[in-house]
Amino acid sequence: MTGSRIAAIIRKDFREFSRNRFFVFITLLVLVAYVAVFWFLPDSVDETVRIGVSNTILSTDVGGVTESGTAGFALEIYASEEELAAAVEEGRDGIVAGISFPPDFLESAAAGEASTVVLLVPAGLPAEIELLLEGAVAELAFGLAGVPPPVDPITEAVVLGTDRAGNQVSLQQQMRPLILILVLMVETFALSSLIAIEVQQRTAVAILATPVRIVDFLAAKGIFGIGLAFSEVVLLGLLIGAFAVNAPAVLMILLLGAVLVTGFGMIAGSYGRDFMGTLLVSMLFMIPLMIPAFGALFPGSSPTWVMALPTYGLVQALIRVTADGETWSQIAPSLLLLAAWGVATFVAGAFILRHRVATL
Amino acid sequence: MTTSSNPAPSPAIDVAGVRFSYSDTVAVDDVSFSVPPGEILGFLGPNGAGKSTTIKMLTGQLKPGAGSIKILGMDMPGQREEIQARLGVCFEEKNLYLSMTGRENLVFFAKLFGVRDFGAETLMERVGLSARLDDRVSEYSKGMRQRLMMARALINTPDVLLLDEPTDGLDPVSAIGIRDLIRREADRGAAVLLTTHDMHEADDLSDRVAFINQGRILTVDTPDNLKLAHGQRAVRIRSHQGDGVDEQVIPLDETGAEDRIREAMSADGLMTIHTEEATLEDIFVEYAGRGLSG
Repeated sequence: MTGSRIAAIIRKDFREFSRNRFFVFITLLVLVAYVAVFWFLPDSVDETVRIGVSNTILSTDVGGVTESGTAGFALEIYASEEELAAAVEEGRDGIVAGISFPPDFLESAAAGEASTVVLLVPAGLPAEIELLLEGAVAELAFGLAGVPPPVDPITEAVVLGTDRAGNQVSLQQQMRPLILILVLMVETFALSSLIAIEVQQRTAVAILATPVRIVDFLAAKGIFGIGLAFSEVVLLGLLIGAFAVNAPAVLMILLLGAVLVTGFGMIAGSYGRDFMGTLLVSMLFMIPLMIPAFGALFPGSSPTWVMALPTYGLVQALIRVTADGETWSQIAPSLLLLAAWGVATFVAGAFILRHRVATL
Repeated sequence: MTTSSNPAPSPAIDVAGVRFSYSDTVAVDDVSFSVPPGEILGFLGPNGAGKSTTIKMLTGQLKPGAGSIKILGMDMPGQREEIQARLGVCFEEKNLYLSMTGRENLVFFAKLFGVRDFGAETLMERVGLSARLDDRVSEYSKGMRQRLMMARALINTPDVLLLDEPTDGLDPVSAIGIRDLIRREADRGAAVLLTTHDMHEADDLSDRVAFINQGRILTVDTPDNLKLAHGQRAVRIRSHQGDGVDEQVIPLDETGAEDRIREAMSADGLMTIHTEEATLEDIFVEYAGRGLSG
């Protein structure tokens, strides 16, 4: 009996959702827009720095240097320093900078004389790229002249966060968790609006004047919210290829994410006084909850306060599975963190909604 | 040899010494009343008197701080689900699902009650809405929504009906129809608790009325008894007197009232005869020291 009552409330909620043009429009719009954005994003990363080099006399030799394995560099040859300067200025051929060797470079090097190599860089080039280019000049000079550079330092890099050297994550992959989380957030608003309407129009009171128990009512809202968020995010996941690696793990992550946002939806719905009020309260939750997903777009470790946000585990687990192909055991800490937040938020949401309905 | 007796039916609603407070404000204080099956009890009081709080305790929304509520012999809120299965409630606010049709609203609540065959068409016909059964409630007028609320309250053929301002917003013809419906429900055997601001409605419909003010029940009695006990019954007779109009008010409880009436009626120029009695409003003012409005 309880099951049929819960089912009746869920069917009613779905009917209300499907008849609300705004919800339907925003849901479809979000799906179409995010799928379009996702597939327009570059799906690979070019880790090679393209550098222009002038002086045709050196062309052959420079080519030899490239083939000999100066990893990470691709050299583009230009006939003159003027032509190279123009290419750097216009960003032609994808080059980030240019190196102009003097015509007597080889002779000077053979004679052990110092010569001046001009480095052409566009304004605003990051300092680290400039340093990299200076190193590249030394490397090229060594390759051309056969004379070892005066200093050969050994650098040990300390990588903050995951070392992506040689294994860069494409923008498409970086955006995947963000897009999935954005859809979950949109459903937070849809659910909170439906709950707010139920509270404001006091239809919840009418339901609770029947043999429906408050627990049944909360269960129906929870199941509907989780089902709505989960089904939409899974649909989007299918459209953006989120299940290519370890699909069961991705499904579990999205399910826990749906539990998490349903909890927030119940909280926002309980406090929203009208449409704008619900929107405002929902936004108060949505903005901080999206920070971990935005943070994932940038390299390096997240600050502690970002790690404390409820969606951090969701983002980490998603990235680790979809981008790094990590296994269940490897993502377990993130999954546990997400599950803890999901359960805590859901329980808090149910408690607050219960209190709100009881005081109607 | 056996003897048979007709004991008074046990009350369908039995409220004893109920109290409820919102923080420091006492909303209902030591309220006691009972409603037997087939009776309509009119619950009269101004806004904030404690009517809605009492109804919320009867529906199980609020838990009384003290006292007991028994409905159909069961304890509220202890046996809430069992009671609610046999309870029909018409709320003051029109808490209907606007995006759903009248039929969908009824079917939804029928499922919550676990009622399969309730006859949506028949029910809507009883409240005069059969032609709008499949229209969305958002397209209903205020009065139509009120009638749908009434239909919803009858889905489970309730043994107890709690009606909070059931004719609010209705045109006079629709109001008469709803009052007739309430009377038929009482005739069927349902105990009806009716709150209303409309004195005429309370007078016309209620078997007994309860006056409530500042959270306390002031009195519970039949409208006739209250009128007999309070205020005077009189006959007002107007007749032509030359170019003017003569008006006599003859109190019925005075000695020789019948002779005076007979005399006045037989005189020439008789214009109108009106009987007069105290209204429930007058009696409420006498009890509470204030009117029902406000």
